[in-house]
Amino acid sequence: MNEEPPMKPEEPRGADTEIRRLKERALEMGQWALRMVHDGWKAFRIGNLKEAQKVLDGDTELDRFDEQIEHEIISFLVLKQPTAVDLRTAAALLKITTHLDRIGRLGFDMARITTPDVGQEGSELATLLDSMDEIAESIVQQALDAMLEGQASLAMGLFVRDDEVDRMHRQATRLVVRELIRDPMSALHLSNQLLVARHFERIADNACKIGEKTIYAVTGQRRSEYLPRHPYTPYILEPGRPK
Amino acid sequence: MTVLAGLCALVALIPLASVVFQAATLGGPVLSISFLTQNPPLPCTPQPGIPCATGGVGSAIQGTLILVGLATAISVPVGLGAAIYAVEFRSRFLGLAISFTADVLTGVPSIIAGVFIYAYFVIYDPSIVFSTITGALALSVIMIPIVTRTCEEALRTVPHAVREAALALGISRWRTTLQIVVTTALPAIVTGILLSVMRASGEAAPLLFTAFGSRLGFQGFNNPINALPLLIYNFAESPYHNWIDLAWGAALILIILILITSVISRLVVQRMVHRMQGG
Amino acid sequence: MGSTKVKVDHVSAYYGKNRAISDVSVEFEDRKVSAIIGPSGCGKSTLIRCLNRMHETLPRTRIEGRILLDGEDILELDPVHVRRRIGMVFQKPNPFVTMSIYDNVSVALRFNGRHSRDEIDRAVVRSLQQAALWEEVKDRVDAPALSLSGGQQQRLCIARALAAEPEVLLMDEPCSALDPIATTKIESLVNELKNTYTVIIVTHNMQQAARVADNTAFLYLGKLIEVGPTEDLFERPKERLTEQYITGRFG
Repeated sequence: MNEEPPMKPEEPRGADTEIRRLKERALEMGQWALRMVHDGWKAFRIGNLKEAQKVLDGDTELDRFDEQIEHEIISFLVLKQPTAVDLRTAAALLKITTHLDRIGRLGFDMARITTPDVGQEGSELATLLDSMDEIAESIVQQALDAMLEGQASLAMGLFVRDDEVDRMHRQATRLVVRELIRDPMSALHLSNQLLVARHFERIADNACKIGEKTIYAVTGQRRSEYLPRHPYTPYILEPGRPK
Repeated sequence: MTVLAGLCALVALIPLASVVFQAATLGGPVLSISFLTQNPPLPCTPQPGIPCATGGVGSAIQGTLILVGLATAISVPVGLGAAIYAVEFRSRFLGLAISFTADVLTGVPSIIAGVFIYAYFVIYDPSIVFSTITGALALSVIMIPIVTRTCEEALRTVPHAVREAALALGISRWRTTLQIVVTTALPAIVTGILLSVMRASGEAAPLLFTAFGSRLGFQGFNNPINALPLLIYNFAESPYHNWIDLAWGAALILIILILITSVISRLVVQRMVHRMQGG
Repeated sequence: MGSTKVKVDHVSAYYGKNRAISDVSVEFEDRKVSAIIGPSGCGKSTLIRCLNRMHETLPRTRIEGRILLDGEDILELDPVHVRRRIGMVFQKPNPFVTMSIYDNVSVALRFNGRHSRDEIDRAVVRSLQQAALWEEVKDRVDAPALSLSGGQQQRLCIARALAAEPEVLLMDEPCSALDPIATTKIESLVNELKNTYTVIIVTHNMQQAARVADNTAFLYLGKLIEVGPTEDLFERPKERLTEQYITGRFG
């Protein structure tokens, strides 16, 4: 019997086109989620209810993305019966959409706790939260880029940046405690701000998880194979003693 | 085009049809039980008031059966054995030689077969030059190549898968060949053997210098013996009417015998194949 | 990792001057199903045929290296005895056409050694049960083998091989000539068989390897590229070539 002629270099091979398409869909969802974070924070920051409403309306779109992408991935699995990198990538993308959904939801939440007449303020806390937003959004973008291009090394770089966000979160907590003592009347707003700080920390965390899934898709390694156990200790804060 | 092919087919049938027709019309009237059982009579010219004895071709029929039977008994083991060797060892020189030789020898003129045996015995043992043995041997010379070639074909057409299946079960090579491959090829082998039988039954030339012919029945292996083709050859040329009539009768009998053999062969093979394919 | 039943040790096999497999070393686990996959012409059929010494039934063939069955080099033993311990099922079902179902299954017993009629009867029933064919033919074991469908004939061939009570069963693309239903039956059969026999199956269908095999070996151009537990090989292959093959990116 004659052998199959070899494939030409420019022909798409295997599941390349499908995988690319699935990744691009995930990217679309990621960008939508990022927008929700950005707009949600902005609405909270300036206390604008109209802006907040826009974000709240965006959650149906987020759900739609989630369901559709899941459906497309399942179709891919059943029809193409992928193996190795294709299989891992499809499985990774399923989890990644969940994390993207959470990220979007955290932005949604920020919009939900928007209170009017807070006004722009130049407090240390507000500035800190601004930076947290910038960094968190940038981390998510990095995770999305790594996912799209399948760059494990880019994904690896996320973990140290996440540590940075953790640090900022702890700092925000201290600031809130200090402010609370100084100005108990603004307790509601301060607790909302603390919540927002927490959200940013969660957003960065989810972005890291996306990075982990990307590393799994590309190399097949799971977290325990390349990261030492993260030493977690509870926060220990003493009131009135800012560090 | 179909019409043309049909016409050609008809034309091809004409010789066969005319032979059978002639044998039937000229030989038919002579047939009777006594024809089949009695021996040929002395040559005789009918005198007024003294009819010639009719006699029969009993000895010829007997002789043909004995000679062909004996020749078959010699040819089948030899031919089948050679075929098996040729197929099993097809890459060895002897295997190739057998194959080639059998091919060539199927075309040898039958009179040569007779002369060959005759010459051999003239040198080796002149006392039995004209005998049943030499007659059977001469017929074998005709039959063996046919048997070898047809059996070789038959064995070769057995798919390699059958052999593989047997070998993979841990059956030794020879048992595979003899008990499995041969059994699978049996319908074709039987056909081949019967083909050679039919050919030998109709040969007169090899018997001219060997069996020689006689009016009597079987007289022992060392003595001459009659056969249908021989009788036809001897009697047809004679000027005696009773002999000529017998010759036609014998011709008809020979044709009938060969026809019967052919039909039996087909039936037997069909039944074998039918049984294999599971009704 | 269980014990090794068959060990291929630096084996190369030739057809005349053509080297079909080069220096292949692989171990097959006892009572597990091992699949051998690879593109056409990679040598997987040649390899499996070396394991029961069928390779040498073809002219001008040669094997180098050792093949150990329970530690014994089968290349030093009598091939006929080797084939009684290592059975084979072929790609196209090849029952003996002149024989009935019963006769087919009992061939190995009738030809190898003396067995009583009773023993043979029991062995035939047992083998047909193991091949999941008994229920379908128990009323007509004397019917000709050719009266069965393709899938049934293949199971008959499996029963025939099992009747010889081998230790290892080799299967050379056993489902390629069968329809999907027959294929499924044979795949579940293989799953049962591994409780008793070591099964080594050559397949060009990767999904089949994924479905039936505990371990999988990937051959390419006569060389062993990778071998390991099936899920590992299909989820996280170690070799680039393996990944390219199983994801269909060959070129």
